[in-house]
Amino acid sequence: MLGVDVGGTFTDVVGVEDGRIVVTKVPTDPSTTESSVLEGARALNVGGKTVFNHASTAGLNAIITRNIPKIGFITTEGHRDMLDAGRVWRPRDALTDADWRRSFGDATAPLVPRYLRRGVRERLHADGSVLIPLDESHAIDQIRLLKKCDVTAVAICLLHSYVNSDHETRVRDLVRQELGDIPCSTSFEVSPLAKEYARASTTVIDVLMKVVFEEYYARLASGLRELGFQGDINFADSAARLLPADVAMRRPHRIVFSGPAAGTIASRRFGNLIEEQNMICCDVGGTSCDISIVENGKLRLNTTFELEHDLVVNALATEITSFGAGGGSIVSVDAVGEIGVGPASAGAFPGPACYGRGGEAPTVTDACLLIGILDPDAFLGGDMRLDVDRARGAFEALDVTLDLPRRVAYAYRLALNNIAEGVVDVAIRNGIDPREYSLVAFGAAGPMLLPALLELTHVKQVLIPPYPGLFSALGLLSSELVYSDSRSAYVVLGADAAPQLDSLYASIEAELREHLPSSADARIRRTFDGRLVGQSWDTPFIGVAERPITAEVVNGMIRSFHDEYERRWGNRFERFPVQGVTYRVQLTMPTPHLDYEELGDRNTGEMAAPSAWTELRYLSTGQRAAVFLRPELRLGDVIMGPALIREDLSTTHVTDGQVAVVGRFGELAIRRHTGQSEEVPVR
Amino acid sequence: MTTTPRHESLRSLTDDAFEERFGCDRFTATVLANRYRYIVEHMCTGLLTNAFSVILRDWYDFAATISGPAHLDYAMPAASNSLHVFIGTMADAVRNAVEEYGPERLAPGDVLICNDPYRAGTHVNDVCFTRPVFADGQLFGFVNLRAHMLDMGGPVPGGFSSTKRNVYETGVVIAPQLLYCGDEPVRSTWSLIFDNARFGELMLPDVKTIYANLLLGESLLQESVQRYGRTASWGAMAYACDASAGSMALGISGVPDGEYLAEDLIDGDGIDDSEEYRLHVRIVVQGSRMEIDFSGSSRQARTAINAGWLDTKTAVYTALKFLLDPRSPFTSGALRNVDICLPQQAFMHALPPEGAIFLFWESTLPIVLTIFKALRDAPGVRGIAGDFGSLALHNANGVTPDGMPWVVVALTGGEHGPWGATAQGDADSYNVPFMGNNLDPAIEAVEASSPVLILRKEYVADTAGAGRFRGGAAVVKDSLWALEAEHHTMPLHFKTPSGFGVKGGGAGTTGGVWMWEATSLDVANDGYIPALDDDVYQQSTPVAGVLDPETRRPDQEGEYFHFARVPVLRTQPGAVFRYLTNGGGGWGNPFERDPDLVKRDVRDGYVTLAGAERDYGVVITGDPEADPEGLIFDEDATRDRRSGNGESSSASPR
Repeated sequence: MLGVDVGGTFTDVVGVEDGRIVVTKVPTDPSTTESSVLEGARALNVGGKTVFNHASTAGLNAIITRNIPKIGFITTEGHRDMLDAGRVWRPRDALTDADWRRSFGDATAPLVPRYLRRGVRERLHADGSVLIPLDESHAIDQIRLLKKCDVTAVAICLLHSYVNSDHETRVRDLVRQELGDIPCSTSFEVSPLAKEYARASTTVIDVLMKVVFEEYYARLASGLRELGFQGDINFADSAARLLPADVAMRRPHRIVFSGPAAGTIASRRFGNLIEEQNMICCDVGGTSCDISIVENGKLRLNTTFELEHDLVVNALATEITSFGAGGGSIVSVDAVGEIGVGPASAGAFPGPACYGRGGEAPTVTDACLLIGILDPDAFLGGDMRLDVDRARGAFEALDVTLDLPRRVAYAYRLALNNIAEGVVDVAIRNGIDPREYSLVAFGAAGPMLLPALLELTHVKQVLIPPYPGLFSALGLLSSELVYSDSRSAYVVLGADAAPQLDSLYASIEAELREHLPSSADARIRRTFDGRLVGQSWDTPFIGVAERPITAEVVNGMIRSFHDEYERRWGNRFERFPVQGVTYRVQLTMPTPHLDYEELGDRNTGEMAAPSAWTELRYLSTGQRAAVFLRPELRLGDVIMGPALIREDLSTTHVTDGQVAVVGRFGELAIRRHTGQSEEVPVR
Repeated sequence: MTTTPRHESLRSLTDDAFEERFGCDRFTATVLANRYRYIVEHMCTGLLTNAFSVILRDWYDFAATISGPAHLDYAMPAASNSLHVFIGTMADAVRNAVEEYGPERLAPGDVLICNDPYRAGTHVNDVCFTRPVFADGQLFGFVNLRAHMLDMGGPVPGGFSSTKRNVYETGVVIAPQLLYCGDEPVRSTWSLIFDNARFGELMLPDVKTIYANLLLGESLLQESVQRYGRTASWGAMAYACDASAGSMALGISGVPDGEYLAEDLIDGDGIDDSEEYRLHVRIVVQGSRMEIDFSGSSRQARTAINAGWLDTKTAVYTALKFLLDPRSPFTSGALRNVDICLPQQAFMHALPPEGAIFLFWESTLPIVLTIFKALRDAPGVRGIAGDFGSLALHNANGVTPDGMPWVVVALTGGEHGPWGATAQGDADSYNVPFMGNNLDPAIEAVEASSPVLILRKEYVADTAGAGRFRGGAAVVKDSLWALEAEHHTMPLHFKTPSGFGVKGGGAGTTGGVWMWEATSLDVANDGYIPALDDDVYQQSTPVAGVLDPETRRPDQEGEYFHFARVPVLRTQPGAVFRYLTNGGGGWGNPFERDPDLVKRDVRDGYVTLAGAERDYGVVITGDPEADPEGLIFDEDATRDRRSGNGESSSASPR
């Protein structure tokens, strides 16, 4: 089994060989992402593997940077501005801010500019009956205009198409007729749910992802075949559950947020292992910082998510907050001479100045190198040399009056502050007290930056898991493979609905099984999202007992709904009929067991010895830090800061006044050192 | 980001002094203040996702707050991210209701309600539900939800009407009384509501859902008090309010001392247009204090377009937050340094029984804009151009063929529209007015529940105020009524452009309301929806606006059509209504706008070729409809035009 996490800066590849974890990391080449993936896959002998699980932020980055293909949007005449208006409301921060603009509005950065949003003459009633028949010649005129403008794909969302898809189907055929076989997504296929804006924005994201991923996947699949791989390719969805690649490519809006979700899954699993139930999971990569929360061992799962405020995607997702702060964040100077850090990133190409790949702007990574946190000769396990002179040169080139030490120190401290603000913000927005939570630090830059946040964020401790540099990718491997899929249809639950519900579940299961190698011993879980007739929002994840779905099973679904509704919301309204909305199937397949290896203790009563000492410059005082090699650490080792703990793909910086204790699986628990013995718990 | 206030006196407190004043350290105070805000958000989510009436489930017409006990003067440290019209009135509403009822009479398990506009602000349909929260047997504070009930009685189903003449017509008034006592429903109170209100089958589960979410808020607040103790929890309430008072004081200090004046007007009331309602605002700034005086404004209106004193206070708060302190969260401390002078029985301080209040926002939205206007040239104050200025609600009702009554409220008029531009850039064209924040109901959700189709919801070219940054474009919304219906229209701001420009920007255009009976325009038979061109207006019945009597299109030189000439419009199946909002105002001189942006606007249909030349001095050729990417910018002609050498002499912005 292989897991691949394509980040904005690096592509992480992890595998299991004989129950042991093997890893590698290659720079992401944004122009041909698949070549980075293939390079990593080759390094881990993909030829002999049977499963290839894939997560990627490529789609997400394309949306956020608006580096997106030119597409057309076709809707009912009179409604093309729904993509500009969204659901109208402002985020809390902008409650009284007249400068607030919708990030995807025409005044800012629309996904589809207004002239490529075309209305076609047609109109359905809410029950699906026709008020105005589709005017085909009018539709063809609109499609020809899109053709004249060279759109590369088309999204179609007509009003009430989730009830009657005839017009959408016909418009899709006309698009095929006029534009040929270009990517085209129809809302009734992508997300047949009521509320036109969410369905439309999901459809737009879907077709954008088709353009981003379709060619990519074809190149990846053929590349893997050339490497001798004959197993199954899966994509992780935005809750890090798996979709067989063919299924994923049919509706790729579901995989847009897969990278960050994998990190949350990895954290929760590791938390279970070490009995840590409350965690703020913080993935600091080269480009972005992704924060999520595990509370009482549970992650937060939503049935829709927003890529930006109100940019809605109807798909299952782990709740994650992202912002632009990472090792590649660029240090700049503004008009009044103040130093700033991010949100722009140098990515992997050209990358930080010290990579020597043509990057000229100084970055957070350059600052850490100049401070001495990073070792120029030991980066990526020594595979890549960092150029200290270029890093220094980049800082010296900044147009600012400060001397070099202060330039570097300010940049470093600003980067820490930005991330700390983000962490505290997510914590208190979710109403949790960070003092009761562990901060799980991972991603390439996590261990080097996050321990310094202990004081700024008041978290209980900072936890550095094993393999922090590619920890997210570990979320794609596990002791089990979880596949899931769903369908939506509004059905009032009653005895006569049983056959329709049964065929819905049957079709989901059949499609999942068709793409799975041996699903015989798969564990199956069926749920539905429902509501009381007259409501507008769903109560998700109500259990469904069994198949075939008979009248009796439907009665059970109704009972379960009322029970669950009462448990969650405190009321029981049995007089109201229950309406099913979305039907979900989850297939869990047992696979060869994956375990983190346990460390032994030293049995000698001694502690780890530093392998070297190094100077940390530019911090408040000059510091001499002990350097440890992480593979040499053992259970119960205690390391006093300032110290650097190096491993192939990352460096942990235990700051002055902190203490790190090595746990059962090699995880580092970093706390404030107060000199009292209870601050140093030994497991 | 975190909401730690940047306020000198709080910032300069030593750690010890902070702890002495607020009973906890700074970090705990921040955590708790944020936790309060999270509690109210969860109460709102619980109500939104489980409500039955459209106005709650798809509009978000409700708000939640937390209030402290009497000894903190009912300080309100947290309000949900929703309608200001609610959160601005809630601190006083809770205080007034609890004081009148008697805080000593409240016990665990009670829910107190009140809906009287003169005691609690807004209108009778907004019922304020207050749950006293006890910790260790002692009253700690209150969690509150205020929610729009679909109906509260009175002559008009759904309540929205501009023609009600006194408090006896606006709906049933509920003085502070218990809805639950010891978590048991109080029969007399429930009967009072359900004997007077329509649509009980939707309101009953809604009220129960509100109650469930008060319980949720109560348990979250109790958990918090248990974890941090009463002293720290009260201290954090005081801290949150002090922080926003300080933050606003700093904002006021940035305005040069002096006197600032501005005026506006409301077109008329629900009887006729014989009386315009004039608004006078006089702002005096001295150091970090401000007085806002409404003296000289018109008397209270003869029908229910008035606002109450608490609504006016909310409008002042909203305007000052937007102008001077946009980022800090709202609490009851925000107006500590502001005094407001209100003339008695004026339309922004109406009194019962004749000073009927229902469409209070039509009186308070102009207050927000007039304060923007008064301060628009004050040095150091950001310029905010005017928005669409009115909700222009449409309320319709009738009976289905099988005898079920139906009502459609606040879904088919001009509820949402453009903002004005700021130094930040062009404005969005579809927003909530500055006084609110809520969802725009999905058309599909509306049509699934009501006998109406929204045929068009789209922006109109050449309606935005021109400027270096342009305002948002006006929105046109057409609705088709499938059944025989009664309609109440209530647009009150077409006589003057609400979307005034700032810093040299132009004003947005004014809107209007039109109607077509199926005899003149039959959508089902024609096979297309009403167009936006001249012909369609010729066949219309003008309902409201300042319109050219010939073309029937908006024209400030034209004739004023009073919206309530026919107080209740009765239509046959197939009738269509059109609402056109006002346009948003521009920011800065339009002749300094980047020609590329003008070209983009022409390509996107925000500006016509003629509009580009007239309003921006930018000459573009081509056919934006047939070949949007083939437009050509004529640099020489533009230079001539912008330097005043062009053929037309009106080179100045509108």
